[in-house]
Amino acid sequence: MAGTAAGGTRQSRAAPYLLIAPGVLWLTVFYVVPIVSLAQTSVEVAGGPWWDGYQRALTGYGTHFFRSLRYAFAATILALVLGYPLAYVIAFRAGRLKTLLLGLVILPFFTTFLVRTFAWKTILNDGGPAVRLLQQLHLLAPDGRLLDTTIAVIGGLTYNFLPFMVLPIYVSLEKIDRRLVEAAQDLYSTPRGAFQKIVLPLSLPGVFAGSLLTFIPAAGDFINAELLGSPNQQMIGTVIQNQFLEVRDYPLAAALSFVMMFLITLGVLAYARLLGTEELA
Amino acid sequence: MSRDTAQRDEEIHRLLRQALGRRRFITRTALAAGGLALGGRFLAGCGGREGGPDGIGGGGKARGPVRISNWPLYIDSETVPDFEKATGIDVEYTEDINDNGEFFAKIDEPLKRNQSIDRDIIILTDWMIGRLISLGYAAPLDNASFPNKANLLDNLSDVGFDPARKYSVPWMSGMAALGYNPKKTGRRLTSVNDIFDPKFKGQVTMLTEMRDTLGLVLLGMGKDPAKATLSDAKAACARIKKARESGQIRKFTGNDYAEDLAAGNIAAAFAWSGDVQGLLADNPGLQWVAPAEGAMLYSDNMLVPKTSDRQDLAMSWMNYVYDPAHSAQIIAGAPYLSPVKGSGAELAKIAPDLASSPLVNPPDDLRARLHVFRALSDAEDMEFNRVFQDAIGA
Repeated sequence: MAGTAAGGTRQSRAAPYLLIAPGVLWLTVFYVVPIVSLAQTSVEVAGGPWWDGYQRALTGYGTHFFRSLRYAFAATILALVLGYPLAYVIAFRAGRLKTLLLGLVILPFFTTFLVRTFAWKTILNDGGPAVRLLQQLHLLAPDGRLLDTTIAVIGGLTYNFLPFMVLPIYVSLEKIDRRLVEAAQDLYSTPRGAFQKIVLPLSLPGVFAGSLLTFIPAAGDFINAELLGSPNQQMIGTVIQNQFLEVRDYPLAAALSFVMMFLITLGVLAYARLLGTEELA
Repeated sequence: MSRDTAQRDEEIHRLLRQALGRRRFITRTALAAGGLALGGRFLAGCGGREGGPDGIGGGGKARGPVRISNWPLYIDSETVPDFEKATGIDVEYTEDINDNGEFFAKIDEPLKRNQSIDRDIIILTDWMIGRLISLGYAAPLDNASFPNKANLLDNLSDVGFDPARKYSVPWMSGMAALGYNPKKTGRRLTSVNDIFDPKFKGQVTMLTEMRDTLGLVLLGMGKDPAKATLSDAKAACARIKKARESGQIRKFTGNDYAEDLAAGNIAAAFAWSGDVQGLLADNPGLQWVAPAEGAMLYSDNMLVPKTSDRQDLAMSWMNYVYDPAHSAQIIAGAPYLSPVKGSGAELAKIAPDLASSPLVNPPDDLRARLHVFRALSDAEDMEFNRVFQDAIGA
């Protein structure tokens, strides 16, 4: 760019800004403005110091924060364990079935999140097939239940966010040049060695993206906890919703949102450092 | 429209009511969003009507539709078309109220700025109506064009949140008390406190609606919900919290408890009368009792927002539904308590079975045990709610 004639640079310098302008405008209106107004709300405390909301958020809701992060973490790990092999098979072994399998992964999105979660209520019902099967296998006590337990909530989260894990991993696996794997085998690498040294490292960006796409929404989710959990499984999302709509304690609700955002950002940064992907470097 | 179709639609309506009832906000939103495709008539009857009949027999004065927001499945399928035919006024009937707090959050801002919310009648629960009136969001009712207001039941005609019913009249009332499945409990339940029986650990639910749950627990403690102080509420909430933490209470629900009760997932629940009435058709064993200590009574009330420019049409609607025969027809499709005098006799003509149910037509001794939660000021409401939300773990 530096060497071009003055007349031409003017336009080409402006071009990138013009291209990002709609996006920036969108983010300003729908992200920055609401965040600023939420920040204002969080410190507009009637009859108390401005940090009152934050103080109560930090002292009163530790259980909920911790629980949300724990559930989201468990769901992310489960989604990874289930999703990676699935993505691997679709990318490398599915052959002509590839499109069909990808279609099946996306299929649940054709119904809404809420309806899908609600269907789980029926599946996990006390008298339902899942409970009966587990009881016959003696994995569940005769008077045990699945619905309204931690297992149900984490299961629901995993199920609902699984495609967000599978798709990025699939894309990063799909991009891998097969000749690299062939080259490794030509050099007498075992299939396992080729996977460990070639495929896995090259798919890590997909794992990274998939984990974030699963973890972040899962941590803020409240539908699964509300429908599939008991009151002892409620996550921070439910609390925020109730504080906004029922109690109308807006400073507390806003403060809770910010604390949650802060915790997630912290977690994501730590994760980025740990995995060291180029995307965030 | 053939008779068969009409019958099928009634059947769908009944099934839906049974599945949903009145206050399950998440599920209902889901079904709405999922575009649950049902027989056309049902949705046409309940959804907004486009184009409607142009003033058949009504003198053709129809000026814009009267726009009504109500809770889902809270009306029969005939009243809206009948009203249109009788008056020539089109109705845009929307079932978009799922939760008092949620709906308030939607209308608060525009009403504060004196802007239209595109509604001429909204239907909300007592305490929320009280809040709207105290905020000055309500238009006074024009009694001159609402002669049937005289049919309002005496015990509902003067309430704390709206003295002399200047701004609001009840759409329907309901009772909250104890519902149970005798097969699971193995015995009759007679007291509110049976819900704390350790035998039912993990098999009971309570309602997320604060006034109903708190009111019932207070009754069980021998306190009067009409005079509840903050310290009473704290004591009741401490009891609820303890039961929640010990695993006694499986869940706090909207009306999701209904199918859990029918499916045998739970033994007993704080339950609304209309839901249990709806469940009885397929689960004849279920019981709903107003315990010895009493039950809670609530009403949902029609109110005209101050920014409505069709208040005269709104009055025509209210006058129409306050006719005992019309009210009975609504009850036949949505089995709660009519606030209209004489509707019981009318109901006996069209649905004798339903009319004899104590859930729709409570006998006097039951009526005497019904309590209404005290009207709370805005600040009190926040305090009570804070304690309550903490108790239910949200």
